[in-house]
Amino acid sequence: MTDATATKPPGLWRRLTWFYAELLSWLLAITVGLLIIPVSLQIFSRYTELIPSYIWTEEMARFMFIWTIMIGAMIGVRESTHFEVDVWPQMGPRGEAVARLFGRLGVLMAGLVFVSAGIEFTRFAWKRTSELADLPLWYIHVAWPVTGFSWLAFLGEQVVADLKIIFGRA
Amino acid sequence: MTGSVLSPGMAALMLFGSFFLFMFMRVPVAFALALACLPILAIEPRLDTMNLMQETFNAYNSFILLAVPFFLLTANLMNVGGTTDRLLKLSRTMVGHFPGGLAQINVVLSIFFAGISGSSTADAASQSKIFIDAQTKEGYDLSFSVAITAVSAVLAVIIPPSILMIVWGGILTVSIGALFLAGIIPGLLIGLAQMATVHAYAKARGYPTYPRETWRALLCATWIAVPALMTPGIIIGGKIFGWFTATESACIAVLYAAVLSLFVYREMDLKGLYAALLDTGKLAGIALFCVGTASAFGWLLAYYKIPEAILTGVSAWGMGFAATGFFIAFVFLVVGCFLDAIPAIIICAPILEPLAKAVQMDPVHFAMIGIVSLAFGLVTPPYGLCLMISCAVARIRIRDAIKDTGIMLVPMLLVLALVIVWPRVSLLLPQLISPEFLK
Repeated sequence: MTDATATKPPGLWRRLTWFYAELLSWLLAITVGLLIIPVSLQIFSRYTELIPSYIWTEEMARFMFIWTIMIGAMIGVRESTHFEVDVWPQMGPRGEAVARLFGRLGVLMAGLVFVSAGIEFTRFAWKRTSELADLPLWYIHVAWPVTGFSWLAFLGEQVVADLKIIFGRA
Repeated sequence: MTGSVLSPGMAALMLFGSFFLFMFMRVPVAFALALACLPILAIEPRLDTMNLMQETFNAYNSFILLAVPFFLLTANLMNVGGTTDRLLKLSRTMVGHFPGGLAQINVVLSIFFAGISGSSTADAASQSKIFIDAQTKEGYDLSFSVAITAVSAVLAVIIPPSILMIVWGGILTVSIGALFLAGIIPGLLIGLAQMATVHAYAKARGYPTYPRETWRALLCATWIAVPALMTPGIIIGGKIFGWFTATESACIAVLYAAVLSLFVYREMDLKGLYAALLDTGKLAGIALFCVGTASAFGWLLAYYKIPEAILTGVSAWGMGFAATGFFIAFVFLVVGCFLDAIPAIIICAPILEPLAKAVQMDPVHFAMIGIVSLAFGLVTPPYGLCLMISCAVARIRIRDAIKDTGIMLVPMLLVLALVIVWPRVSLLLPQLISPEFLK
């Protein structure tokens, strides 16, 4: 479902979210590609003398993996592709919009929790560093509030679009 | 209980009650699981929303789960790089002349695919695009085409390598190498059951068939597909002989698929690469985000010792070996209707493990019962990911494909029953090849 993305968006807000979604897509593709590097290094360092066996590869892979998941979850909200269970009978466009809206309110709640608790989660990690690579931990923890904010940003226009259908202005 | 405000029963009611309520309200499952945790986190003074953050973090901070994007990427690289096409041609020369030729090819390609990729969702996504349209054009019914594509996709997690086996092995510390070997025979049996189903359908409905290919054509197709066919050997062999860990074996699969796409079959361009990476990220993000919230949910269940409470009730029934096996399968089949397989393993496998131990079931046998049952859950509504994906590609609703899916599940369930009552179906290969893996 590409509710709001199919045509070039008119308003400033929609253009901003469109660019943001494009940026996230590129970041996602890049992080997926990068994931291969530390794991491959780990294998090759074990069987060849070409590179030393770095200790940080495993941690690096895990941290990049976390960002991959969170960016993927952000785009999932943008594209409404998080899987849902559909037990309702087939409805008209207005009924569908109401049903969608309920689902979006749930995501909205989760988004607010991820923002508020996520900020505390990030602060909690502010002065700590990772075990192996000595990376600041908040680099990772900050993914949670960022994910929450992104959901809220993407939800806004989707909710507006649903409301327009419900009130017959679409 | 040590100072909890809520009793286990009350907590279980709140957790499951709000989860089903949110799910019914069309909140995506991953979010419904997270929201279901919130009331308890608010009520219990020792817990707060930070636990939700921390538990999701702990779930994602896992080297084992990294295998998920790797296997998805392997599948995507195979598709854009021409590997799938070679295997498709090989399948055609092998079974194209059987009744219902194209549907038979659909199943056989899934078996090949399963030996390379460990992800059923990737299989369903790619084969839906290849087969559903092509089959309906040849006169197959649409619901049949959707159903056979979806049910054959579940082979990917039963035939090694398999994401589910890696996750199961990681959580319950079972040898992943043994699980890989254990999955081969049940997987092939289920594949055969599906081919028999297609045969029956084709005879009853007069589905078309292709002319028999020559032996020469078969040899040629095999020769061209040899590099691709070597992949399972590399991945599974590498794991069994301890050359690399499970996650590393998935990474090797990616590298090998990339080499095939770039240097051997040479069909991948930059645009294809970007599409493969992006598609992988999107699907992995959605699937794994749910694993995080399910872990938080499962953590709360454990916090209130709800699994133990359920277990004491069930243990009192005094079930024997086979009854326990069927009970385990039943639980996973039901849970699989509402949850994706990985979250289901995280929540249920540790709960059921003591039951299996009580009847001296081999951990590998227990794992195979769970994995096969959960694999079937990928096509059972309301939450059957493979069926959802195939229906989405075909643009039909799930209920339109349910009947054919149900019919196809019957012979598969018979194979599951065989796996339950006859442990050697799973344990034969691990016993032959690497008995040291079995306890």
